[in-house]
Amino acid sequence: MRTLPARYVPSGPTARGGMGSIVFCQDSILERRVAVKFLQDATHGRRMDDELAALLKMRSKHVVQIYDICRFPDDCIGIIQEFVDGPDLFESFALPANTNAYYKQLWQVAAGISDIHAVDVIHRDIKPNNMKIDPEGVIKIFDFGLARDAGPTAATVGFVGTPGFAAPELYATAATFTSAVDVYAFGVTALFLATGALPSELTAFPPHPAPAGYFGAIGLGLGAEVIQLLDACLALAPAARPPMSAVRDALARHLLFDKHQALVVFKGRPSYLNSANRNIALDLPTVGRVEISYDGLMFRVTAATGEVFINNGTVSAGQSLPGCCVVALGSQARRNNERAFITFDLSHPEIVL
Amino acid sequence: MSGPHKPGDLIGDRYEIRADVGEGGMQFVYAAYDRLIGRMVALKTPKNKSATKRFKRSAIVAAKVNHPNIAKTLDYVRAGEDRYLIEELIEGQDLQDALLRRSGCLDPFSAAKVFHYLVRGVAAAHHAGVVHRDLKPTNVMVVGGYSLTEIKVTDFGIAKMADEELAEAAEGGTSTMTTSQTAVGALPYMAPEAIETPRAVGPSADIWSIGAMMFHLLTGAPPFGTGLAAVRKILEAAPPPMPSFLTSNPQFAPLAKEISNIVLLCLQKDPSLRPTADDIIERCGRLCYSLDPRAEGTVHRIDYGAYGFISCDGPDVFFHTSSVYGPRAAQIGASVIFASYLGGGAYRAHPVVVVDPSPTAA
Repeated sequence: MRTLPARYVPSGPTARGGMGSIVFCQDSILERRVAVKFLQDATHGRRMDDELAALLKMRSKHVVQIYDICRFPDDCIGIIQEFVDGPDLFESFALPANTNAYYKQLWQVAAGISDIHAVDVIHRDIKPNNMKIDPEGVIKIFDFGLARDAGPTAATVGFVGTPGFAAPELYATAATFTSAVDVYAFGVTALFLATGALPSELTAFPPHPAPAGYFGAIGLGLGAEVIQLLDACLALAPAARPPMSAVRDALARHLLFDKHQALVVFKGRPSYLNSANRNIALDLPTVGRVEISYDGLMFRVTAATGEVFINNGTVSAGQSLPGCCVVALGSQARRNNERAFITFDLSHPEIVL
Repeated sequence: MSGPHKPGDLIGDRYEIRADVGEGGMQFVYAAYDRLIGRMVALKTPKNKSATKRFKRSAIVAAKVNHPNIAKTLDYVRAGEDRYLIEELIEGQDLQDALLRRSGCLDPFSAAKVFHYLVRGVAAAHHAGVVHRDLKPTNVMVVGGYSLTEIKVTDFGIAKMADEELAEAAEGGTSTMTTSQTAVGALPYMAPEAIETPRAVGPSADIWSIGAMMFHLLTGAPPFGTGLAAVRKILEAAPPPMPSFLTSNPQFAPLAKEISNIVLLCLQKDPSLRPTADDIIERCGRLCYSLDPRAEGTVHRIDYGAYGFISCDGPDVFFHTSSVYGPRAAQIGASVIFASYLGGGAYRAHPVVVVDPSPTAA
């Protein structure tokens, strides 16, 4: 073992991470626990520096923070990281209590991976064992497989300890890592978090995911859009997998299902359109009439007759309302006292974890 | 005590001073380049001997709290007699400089967001047994200006040192209160018990301070005024009246009312009656607010006193005067901050807050 600076006093067990050993230490100067991860930086020095710089700059709620870096003479580096005092998602597995609890877990993981991809880094080792729940209940991703760009041989898959998370294309000779590798591993993680197990075709070498998908059958009452996206994460072809940010955004919409509201002000009187009051009809007799409904995800025009304008534009049934708008009944050809104006302000609670 | 430093000074063989980014009552603050890792950091160092005494302790306190809404503690360096705290460099401004100095108040949507993030950070500290004790607009950092990209509470550790000075000032009576630089800035946001029994304040003193700050953000002024006169009013703790613009406009009234209700709960004289940070998170989690980025522009036309247009980078933005929040009306020439939405012809602005009401000389 390399000698760490004296301020870091090893405490507790040494864990084997996917890519190198991790030593838990007490930082005797700032009196806090840290996790020091050692990585061999033999062949990809330049690249590893780029990735470390990106990770140091990144600020994500769902990725462990890096405090410091130590360099050793033998091309090994030590990454001093935040110690997350909590169980990993593999250890703490329990069937999701309800759909929303499941969405909340997946949204956090998807948000963390999206943040990593946004700085052009690929995690390379996404799996439930590499995610911890901190004392505030926030999921944090750790243990980057930095600068590893050769695909796993049977031997290297062995070190992961949990076969099934490496994407099918990594079993080809001369495989390269793309961010779609993380998307695939996210899909497998999502399946594990829903059921606590993986079907045998996913743990095979190489895995051959069923084209029909898995998420329609897991029985959590997931939204159709979520099922379609999660199944697409497990597509055999990397290009058919969605970007992580698209998965994150869809999960956010569904997390807020039935929680959006529109504040409608007509003649100085406010009223709300929300899950308790899903439909509104605005009627100016002989001039125009419009019906607007909330379906739990969007506010949409369901019917419109006569002179109806949203933000001065014409209206058709099925169109969704922008974040903030004015509905006018009566065209601009009329005098103002023959027209009615109704403001719509759309908002929702914020997902803050 | 160490500093002031000049650009180019090297600290601990590693941190190269790049720029002075301002000083607080207790410390110098610099932007520095970490040569080992190759990133910019914030470097803080105490200004005087009495502050140096507690600096290490304060660094340890700050390092205990790890949360996205709290500035991250990275390192602590001792070089001879000098002490340095290395923190994440937040590339923004404090709440006072970034927002309040210009607009006076925030629209209720932005205020709700600040409330939510602020109380998240403070709750994480309270869970770790850390009380800030000196929450005020200059201790809250904002990235992205009015768009509020990031909100982070800072100077947790320093608060521990400031605490001692605040306690001394409070015990010295009102004359000391108004001469201690630290006390003057903190005073409008200080809980009654922080003035009466300064050495025995708990997490609920932070809750009061959050309430006082939110009152300021929403209404444009601290709840009990500033300076000497504030002391008596804070001790009386009569519920401060809310200005009429909070509730006069039906487009803002429902959210403004919800926020001000929580604020009034925080501003109760008896600390045991105030909500906990977790209680406030629960209530903020139910608030509905839009989060669209804000832009700045100038009102260049108003028709019939009812609607007008804002010029900015890009095409003109339409606004209705009922979308203007705050005590100031949007006259022609006024600088305004607004969010905009796709409209039929022009984009439509909502909400609109005036930052500089005076029409510019043509």
